[in-house]
Formats: sequence, structure tokens, C-alpha cells
Amino acid sequence: MDRPIAYDKLAREDRFVRMRARRVVELKLEQGLPPFPDLASRESIKERVHGIMVGELQAMEGAGRTVYDFPDAPWEFAMDMARQVWDESRHVEIYIRLLEHLDGYVGEFPETTILWRCACAEDAAARVAGVNRGLEGLACDVFNQLVHIARKIGDPILEHAVDFVLADEITHVRMGSKWLNALTEGDPERRKRAIEFQESIDERFNLGGMRREGEHEDVPISIATEARRLAGFTEEEIARLIKTTQRSSVY
Amino acid sequence: MVQRLAGHFSVEESAKRIRHYRYAEERMMRVMGGWIALTPELGAKLLFGRHVWDCAQHADLWGKRLPELRAPAQVSEPPNDAFVRFMDLVESPEGFGQTPQRLVGIYGVLKPHLLATYEHHLAHANQVYEPPTRRILQRVIEDERRHIAAGRAILTHLLRDDGARRRAHAWEERLHALLAEAGGVSGDGLSHLAVPEIPPDAADVAGDLVELEKPVGQWPLPPDLEAALATHALSLARGNLAAVAEDLAPEFRSAGEEFYRSALATGFERHAVVGAAKIGSHRQIKLRLESRQGAVVLLSRWAQRDGRWRVVEAEVVRTEPA
Ligand SMILES: [Fe+2]
Ligand SMILES: [Fe+2]
Repeated sequence: MDRPIAYDKLAREDRFVRMRARRVVELKLEQGLPPFPDLASRESIKERVHGIMVGELQAMEGAGRTVYDFPDAPWEFAMDMARQVWDESRHVEIYIRLLEHLDGYVGEFPETTILWRCACAEDAAARVAGVNRGLEGLACDVFNQLVHIARKIGDPILEHAVDFVLADEITHVRMGSKWLNALTEGDPERRKRAIEFQESIDERFNLGGMRREGEHEDVPISIATEARRLAGFTEEEIARLIKTTQRSSVY
Repeated sequence: MVQRLAGHFSVEESAKRIRHYRYAEERMMRVMGGWIALTPELGAKLLFGRHVWDCAQHADLWGKRLPELRAPAQVSEPPNDAFVRFMDLVESPEGFGQTPQRLVGIYGVLKPHLLATYEHHLAHANQVYEPPTRRILQRVIEDERRHIAAGRAILTHLLRDDGARRRAHAWEERLHALLAEAGGVSGDGLSHLAVPEIPPDAADVAGDLVELEKPVGQWPLPPDLEAALATHALSLARGNLAAVAEDLAPEFRSAGEEFYRSALATGFERHAVVGAAKIGSHRQIKLRLESRQGAVVLLSRWAQRDGRWRVVEAEVVRTEPA
């Protein structure tokens, strides 16, 4: 197998419809719809859950590639990534079941692959910085908000399941912080590149102003300050993220 | 009872065997991790996802046992070059359509062989001074049984026709021949060991079988779109371009006619909707068209124009030779 594989090798059953994220946004704006599903209706929650389900799928695939792509990295690194594969496989199942719970089906909305592209970084340190800290940090934001909304609309199934996923994601962010440090020890240049990669991902996943500091009901994606603290982000990092979301362009 | 102290393996031999087991487990775990992204079928994809962690734990348990046997920790060592070639062959099927070969290599050949070897080792490991090894063997045996049962269930599900079953069988034979040449994972000729009976319906297997791809009987589509699609698919199957053109939105008419003319060079015998996604009020429809030459998967976007569903965009997403 190639190390790493070309990003377009990502394999799907026919029931998945893959599209560029930009195109999906364009088609929604043309119809006068918000570019990303808000959490205002059951239908939009279902669309959000579908997006998360394919994100979990790509997270599992990305962690699996990391197990394969870096045979010379420390053994404990491979162990953490293998554990993450298992966690993500459960997350996929959870979101498939939640989708059914919301009367949805696999393939009901298009799949975009920006997340998977990030998981194709060639350096292990960049990959854990980008995926475990950047993307899984975003997952903490999204899941924390979803737990809150589920509690508010009185859906304990959604609330409990997502809360367990959130606990796992916090663990994955911690793994990311641990390995970003360990893999770049004594190599400040490599560390700098990895962090820059993470910041480029943070920037991209501010989603043009969708992610913001604010109340769960008021902003499309709220920043989970407390969960991020638990996950090992420093106060400085959280403050910097909030600042970057304020200057992201809005669609 | 002095015979209770009789043993089969020296400390050094034990450590060497364990390094060989670790080689197989570690390499298997990495290969399965790498395959997840390359495997389209959700059931198989998630099966690999479930088992990567178990295999990693097996490799780790073996690796941690090594220093207790006067050997460096976490070292993998293949028994010989032939076993490396065997693992290379197990790893080689990475194509979109090669999931059955991937499953056969792991669940049809490697894991059954590991299970038989572990059982054989357990039967011969001394009960007085080798319990640390025995405990690990008991754990890995239990996992391997579960994995094999789950893998077989997915494989049976995927091997739907005789041709696929024949190809899978031929692949299995090739792998068995190389495994025999290597003398098995321990390199000492134990590749012939009989695989223990494994009940297919063990209760704990269910947790590994998240999803078996089910044929979708009816897509939840608006009835008028459903009707439009049925007519459209029939026109496509018959190669009736004039009728297909009627389904195109005005803004897509000329580009669409051009597209369908080249996509429909041959007629099709079978057609089915295989995917249906929503973007607001639009629908992305995947149609699979099959002929003796092979299959084409078309993706077309449908939207309402003048009270009728019309195609506003279309592309070929995949072609398969027969
Ligand atoms: Fe996850
Ligand atoms: Fe995660």
C-alpha cells in the first residue's frame, strides 16, 4: 500500500454522494438556505447528525491510515491511534443509530471530504495537530452544543449518546497534545509547521464565521470553552481561537 | 508430581515465538488500519475498525511479555522470509473491488491459523511456570474466535455469486500455499493445524457486525420524482436520447444532450437507483446502469422546473468493467 494514499482513494458504497463542500454551500445559498444546517428544526438536526456521521467515518479512516503510515513512530503512538480507530468506529455506529432515531438514512445528505483531506498530511506531528487538536477540537464544540440542544428539546437518547462521544473526543484531543509535543521534541521547526497546519485547519473550520463564541442557541456553532480546557487547550489557545473566529469572513 | 514441571519451550524459544506472534499481530493491525479508507463496504470497513484495536492490544501484550523472558520489550520478528512474503500477499489487495480478498486474507487464513497456533501453544505451555503466557493466550484466543466468526459473517454476505466465491477460494489457496512454505507464524511447520470449530452465532459477535449493506427497496423520494425517475431510467436503458432530452432542464439542455449521448453509447439491461441525497429541495440521484459490457454509475441532480422534476446537472461517477 502507498504511504500515504492519495486522498481521492477514499472508498464509499454507492449510497454515499460525495461533493465538494463549496459546491454544496453554493447550491444552498442559491435556494436561499443557510449554508450549514442550524439546529432549529428536527430536519436540520438530522442533517447536522448526518454530517457528523460522515465526519466520524473519515476520522476512523484517518486514524487507521496513521496506524499504517508511520511504522517507525513510537509504539505507544500506534497504540493510541489504534485505540482511536476503535473509538471512531463506535462513534460511526452511534451516529448511524441516531440518524435512524431521527428517521434519517445513510446517504440522505451529500458527503464532503474536507476533514479527510486534513487527515492526509504527510507528517505524523502535523496529522495529530491538525486532526486531533484542530478537527477533534471542532468536534468538542459541535458535540457540546448538540448535548445542550438535545437536553433542551427533551431528547435523552440524543443527549446521552452524544455526551459519551464528547468524552471520547476530549480524550483524542489530549492524545493529540501529547503526541504533538513528543513527536516534535528537540525539533522546533517541525513543531512550528505542525502548529501552523493546525491553525490553518482551525481557520478553515471557523466555517466563514459559523463557529463563534456565544450562547448555544444564538450561534451556529458555539465554542466549547470548558470542554476545550478539559481537553488540554491552554487559556491562550482558547483566547486565540475566539479571536480568529471574530475575523473570519462570513458567507 | 515432577511431571507437572515438564515443559516444551525454553525461555529463549518462548521469547522467539512471541516475537513471531508479535510480528503477525502488529503487521495485521497496521494493514487493517490502512485498509479502512480503501474499503467501500460499510460493514467490512467498520469490522476492520473494530478489530484494529484488539490486534494492537495483542501485539502490545506479547511485546510486554518479552522482558519477562530476558528479551527486549516490544520487538517484532518474522520467523523467516517466506512468512514476510505471505504477509506481503495478505496486504496486497487494496483495490476498490477487492474487499473479499482482504477479508479472506485476514479472517479466512491468517486469524484461523493464529487461533490454531495459539490453541496448540496453550495446550503445551506449562501450567506451573508459564501462566503469564497462558493468560495472554487465553485472551487472544477468545478475541480471535470472535473476530473469525464476525469476519465470516461479513464475507458470506459479500460473496453473493459463484464467480466471487470461486475467486475468494482461489485467493485462499494461494495464501495457504505460502503460509505452508513459511511453516506458519512460528516457522516450525505448524501451518497444517486444524482450525477449531467456531459457532457463527456467538452472542458477542453481534457487536462487531454494525452494518450489513442491505438492498434498499424503496428510497424515501417524493412520489412525482419517483415516477419521473422510473421513466428516465427506462429511457436511459433503451438509449432513447430524445426521451432523455425531455427530462433535462432548459439550462442544461444542450450540455446534457451531449453528456448523455456519450454516456449512453450502449443500451443497458438493468438499472436501479442506488443513492438519493438532499440539498435543500434538490435531489442528487445515483443511478446504476448495467449492460454486458459492465456498469456505469451516473449522478444527476434533480430540481423542480415549471412544476416538473428535471435534471439540472449530470456526471459519471464510476464505471466498472463486466
Ligand atoms: Fe469521533
Ligand atoms: Fe475522535
